[in-house]
Amino acid sequence: MRWLLLAVPSLLALAGPWFADDDTGRAAAFSTEGLLGTDFAGRDVWQQVLLGGQDLVLVAVLATAGAYALAVPWGLLAATARRRIADELLMRPLDLLLAVPSLLLLILLGTTRAGGVLVWAIILIHLPDIARVSRATALEAANGTVVEAMRLQGESRWRVTVDFVGRSVLRTLATDVGTRLTGTLYLVAAAAFLGVGVSPDTADWAVMIDRNRTGLFLNPWAVLAPALLIIMLTVGLNLAFDRALRTRER
Amino acid sequence: MSLTKYAARRLPLTLAQVVAVASAVFLLVELLPGDAAVVLAGDSPDPARVAQIRAELGLDRPLPERFGAWMGGLLQFDLGASIVSGRPVADIVLDALGPTALLAGLTLALLVPLAVVAGVRAALREGGLTDRTLTAAGVALYSIPEFALAIVLITVFSGYLGWLPATAIDGIGPAVLVLPLLVLLARPLCSIGRLVRAGMIEALAAGYTRHALRLGVPRWRVRYAHALPNALAPAVQQLARTTDWLLGGVVVVEAVFVIPGLGTVLVDAVADRDLPVIQGLAVLFATTTVLVNLAADLAAFRLAPRA
Repeated sequence: MRWLLLAVPSLLALAGPWFADDDTGRAAAFSTEGLLGTDFAGRDVWQQVLLGGQDLVLVAVLATAGAYALAVPWGLLAATARRRIADELLMRPLDLLLAVPSLLLLILLGTTRAGGVLVWAIILIHLPDIARVSRATALEAANGTVVEAMRLQGESRWRVTVDFVGRSVLRTLATDVGTRLTGTLYLVAAAAFLGVGVSPDTADWAVMIDRNRTGLFLNPWAVLAPALLIIMLTVGLNLAFDRALRTRER
Repeated sequence: MSLTKYAARRLPLTLAQVVAVASAVFLLVELLPGDAAVVLAGDSPDPARVAQIRAELGLDRPLPERFGAWMGGLLQFDLGASIVSGRPVADIVLDALGPTALLAGLTLALLVPLAVVAGVRAALREGGLTDRTLTAAGVALYSIPEFALAIVLITVFSGYLGWLPATAIDGIGPAVLVLPLLVLLARPLCSIGRLVRAGMIEALAAGYTRHALRLGVPRWRVRYAHALPNALAPAVQQLARTTDWLLGGVVVVEAVFVIPGLGTVLVDAVADRDLPVIQGLAVLFATTTVLVNLAADLAAFRLAPRA
């Protein structure tokens, strides 16, 4: 059941563009003919649904991966810093970022319309949190007896930091990948809905919901189909990760 | 450490945070390409006219000078005037504050008691109906974006059933607020309810509660005077994180239900490159977040003084 919840929207999102017709014939706006009817511009909703999931999923995955790629080394560096001042210099500025509401940051950066700006904005939003968790976990490992023994044996700093401390951090971080990916998906979709970082006529599930709202009572499927797909995707993802976590704990 | 001492230690940090965030917002907005002079000049901007508007607005002055002027104004609660409409930003914010404060206030007023009651009930009977509902709903509702949930609710309750209005275009009444509040409550209710539940289960199993029971302290006193405050501390801190969601959620919910609040002002201002309005709102939002975090830390400290 939960795999179905996740599989349907992700398959549609990733493989959909391959099955979409190139022919975008225009019909009357918000008619109910065809599988799901037409949208505000008279385009076929089913074709738009096929096209509209890819960006959403790709941006979310890319941004989450980017956030970890930047934040984990950041936290490791702070935790293994020999001097306290280096640790403070790395971590204090992140506290400031935490004070900016995430959607506000997304809206401010999103308006620059630069390519890939959404990905960067999301990396910036996740950075303080992931870096803090990595630092806290790394501190525990870095002050343990194992590291002390490795140092005494003359292991290189690289091997101690990356091989041992890094690996122990990854184990802890693996537990919240799911929540973070769902959170990213949430932010990307909300931004697109508000028209941040996307052009108003792109085929995107969130944009479809925003643009087709005016015809909600004429052709509800133009809004409901993308809304249900987004809900299935986020809920399915959360359920799958939640279950995976609980099986691991046992 | 006493509460006053703890507060005195936290206050300078909080002030520094507000100032730093305000500066960061100013710089960030400065970095936005495109400026208001071009927007104001109309559809086919003529370079001379754009330059003239820029001079009138003071946009041609060097960055440090404008930053100094803006910070100086901020200290006297003067946020400047909107570039597009010419109205003082403070007035615009005050006008839009009402609906947003109403939404956020009602959400918080409903959220706290509901989350505590649900969490405590679930904890007192683990595996019971409340517990199972809270856990299942928690995992599912936690991740749904507000706008998607809102659209589905509107389709059902305004479209098919016709019970509730779909937007606030005809003014804000009790019926209009039902759907926005449901949407805003869904996410935080689950997360905070689950935290209260977890904290309560832990507190009820702890040595001090069992000891108190053995001493003959009444059960209700052990539950609500000893276990509950300890269980609430982590939930209060999560509540502070929730204001971040709430601000974001309010922006989205205002957009969906066409409510003329701060979120709508923000989205419009960004579309018009109305820098003073964006800056004013950003400072207001950031200050609120910082202050709420401070309040939450103080409340958590009062409930369970530890460090």
